[in-house]
Amino acid sequence: MISTFSRTLLAFTALTALSLPAIAQDAAAPKTRQYAPVTNDMILKPPVNDWLMWRRTLDNQGYSPLDQINTKNVGDLELAWAWPMASDGEQEVGPLVHDGVMFLSTNDNIVQALDAKTGDLIWEYRNPHPQLPASWGYQLNQARRQKESIALYEDKVILTTVDAKLVALDAKTGKVDWQTQVYDSSKGYSYTVGPLVVNGKIISAISGCSIAGTAGGCFITAHDVNTGKELWRFNTIDDPKNPQQEASWGDVPPENRWGGTPWTTGAYDAKTDTTFWGIGMPGPYSQLIRGSGEGDVLYTNNTLALNATTGERKWNYSHLPGDNWDLDSPFERVLVDADASGGAKHLLVTVAGKDGIAFGLDRDTGKYLWSKDTVYQNVVKSIDPKTGKVTLNPDLIPKAVGQQVFTCPTVSGGKLWMAGAYSPLTHAYYVPVAESCNAVTPTVTEFTPGNAVGATTFGPRVLPEGVKNAGVVDAFSVTDGKQLWKYGQRPTFTSSLLTTGGGLVIGGDAGRYLLALDQTSGKVLWKTRLNAPIGGHPMTYEIDGEQYIAIPTGFSAQAASSAGEFPEIAVPSGSGNSIFVYKLRHAGKTASN
Amino acid sequence: MSFLGAATAFGQELPDTLENKTTRLQGDQITFCLDRQSAGAVFDQKVGQAIADALLVKPVFVDAPSGFPIDAGGYLAELKIVMANSCDVLLGISLQPNFPYPDWATPTRAYADIPFVLAVTNPNYKSLADIPRTQRIGTALGSIGEYNFITYSLQQPEGQRWRRLPYADPNLMLKRVKDGTLGGIILWQPSLSKITNGDPAAAGLRIIPTDPVPASSVQVAALLSSRDSFLRSQIDQAVGSLIDDGTIQSLLDQTKFAGKPAAD
Repeated sequence: MISTFSRTLLAFTALTALSLPAIAQDAAAPKTRQYAPVTNDMILKPPVNDWLMWRRTLDNQGYSPLDQINTKNVGDLELAWAWPMASDGEQEVGPLVHDGVMFLSTNDNIVQALDAKTGDLIWEYRNPHPQLPASWGYQLNQARRQKESIALYEDKVILTTVDAKLVALDAKTGKVDWQTQVYDSSKGYSYTVGPLVVNGKIISAISGCSIAGTAGGCFITAHDVNTGKELWRFNTIDDPKNPQQEASWGDVPPENRWGGTPWTTGAYDAKTDTTFWGIGMPGPYSQLIRGSGEGDVLYTNNTLALNATTGERKWNYSHLPGDNWDLDSPFERVLVDADASGGAKHLLVTVAGKDGIAFGLDRDTGKYLWSKDTVYQNVVKSIDPKTGKVTLNPDLIPKAVGQQVFTCPTVSGGKLWMAGAYSPLTHAYYVPVAESCNAVTPTVTEFTPGNAVGATTFGPRVLPEGVKNAGVVDAFSVTDGKQLWKYGQRPTFTSSLLTTGGGLVIGGDAGRYLLALDQTSGKVLWKTRLNAPIGGHPMTYEIDGEQYIAIPTGFSAQAASSAGEFPEIAVPSGSGNSIFVYKLRHAGKTASN
Repeated sequence: MSFLGAATAFGQELPDTLENKTTRLQGDQITFCLDRQSAGAVFDQKVGQAIADALLVKPVFVDAPSGFPIDAGGYLAELKIVMANSCDVLLGISLQPNFPYPDWATPTRAYADIPFVLAVTNPNYKSLADIPRTQRIGTALGSIGEYNFITYSLQQPEGQRWRRLPYADPNLMLKRVKDGTLGGIILWQPSLSKITNGDPAAAGLRIIPTDPVPASSVQVAALLSSRDSFLRSQIDQAVGSLIDDGTIQSLLDQTKFAGKPAAD
């Protein structure tokens, strides 16, 4: 089905058009445009020219086969257009492109549709959540923390909101199709990541699971994409069907458990109808205070494999059992088909948590295959090569309240939300990570007495002894973790990485540099400096035979928290959230004419 | 204060552009931020009124940010914005050694010292020592009362320790001590007062000593922007006067808060 829609820009007055030349120029464009719905077949096998979901494909690879921009001509990139984002806040946007339209989800749940070739605004949606009083400080804070993505399905844009709603927008107009209140946001529940949508189901996960009122429940859910009806719900910290899970919290009943937030969009394997999610840390951080003893506190810091039709658990693997340092492990799970040792062919590869340890698992069984450190870490003592059982460094588990321990990496990672990318050209996974250490002290955390609003004590972020480069891209084989190359530099990387069929790895740093690296060698082939730290999730698409690369920039909490490690590089304190879009320069012609 | 300026949980940072850079023009008024979810809010507001009266200015009370995770994710970032844009003083903060006050803020002297209490339902218990080690004790999560309980417990042989569960919701603690899940609950006295409408006995609870665990209390103070050093000195002097003339004790009595005016 091909639909048409009028541009809302035509409603602008002549006066507005005169005062805003860029909009006036677009108003002269054709009055209607085509938009082809995103079919389920497209979701399962996305068109090469589009970027339909967070990491382009359901396997979270972050790879585009487009190769017009490549290792030989990347130096010929020039700006095609740029766009200021709609609201201040942390920049973690994941632009999507389909049928010539770019969809952006900015802070405060503002969604914008832009012409992906020209950067002209098509429509804008603002989530009309209730005005948040100052006393709802957490929700205000969440609204300022950029959500990574939205999702496209059929003629809809699926949005998760700060006030715990699922909203389906008409992709052609931005008008609300349906919305549903999934959780009670007054208890503290809040969406912070976008969903994946496949086979008519919206599979999403909730955050806010460390708020007092959300004790005992943190969830992954499936909803019908046409009605918003809930189909199943899985609790990440209370699974009565699994006695091992219940026992792992020791004496602590569900109503005294917190954490287990799955705050990164999951992956989906169509062959087995399985969805894979990474789960965050337990709360309170220290086992001394949480009262759980030496238990693994499942399913915190796990990979969870769930039947996507029923929500039943298939398997789980614990990447950091019994966390004591807020080194949570929710980050992207990447699915790759390749031959690993032991006969495994269906792999799940991930740098799961802030500790920066890379894992290879058999995604059909959850069996451990291999692991490797990407940055210096001192929290994991060993990983059994046969069973994959992770043993913590006992010296760093506080034995008394107030005992300070020095951990590497830090609460800010190591690895953070910035996703790595896989390339089938090299069979390697490229991951942005950071060298860092900090002091951690379990202590009194009440800021206002009698109220469970704490302030956790982490010392300043510093580099490990003898290490000068905070920013690292680690490239390694997905079959055995063997290192291909390692690139280091002073400033931390603050964006996800993009791999392309042109042999490039693209990402950027706290020092405002956008870099293009060679997938094979790690050599920097091109770089340019922009207005703010590079952020969000760089992506690429093609329109009318031209390949574009979109780069988010703006305020970066990672840049701010790591700036002390490279004081010679000034990090902007303002916002500047923007999108920069590049394409190849043509002889005698600039991008704007 | 050894953690002054220390980093906090990830996600505390926000763009400076969210903060007003202008100085508020407010004439003869002072704006207090109040965490209305805190059990101490009713007392803190009265103290704010008394401070304003002493300084001959009109008090205005606005909401402080609240409802944050137990790990405080985002709390200090939002507090910084509110204190830059909306209020001069945050009332009702907890003064503790080694507490991570951010470098943009400075505490006043404490105005009150308010205890944690142990509440039980079993009439045979005369102190914590009487509660069997097989019973669970509920503690207010992240509090100085919990801290002291854990510290004492860890000093005992493993078989002689009470089992403990952390609670962020005082009402849930109350429910669990009344249904027998918990042998006793250790919480801030104003929290107990709030959840029992000021009458623990009517709710079937008795307050007994925490012996052998040392008694715990919170020094309650206010927080200002570090740049407001003159205002801080004025408030410190006002608090001193209010303690000396008996006003703080009177306000504690009015609100049925246990405790005493803070020592100098």
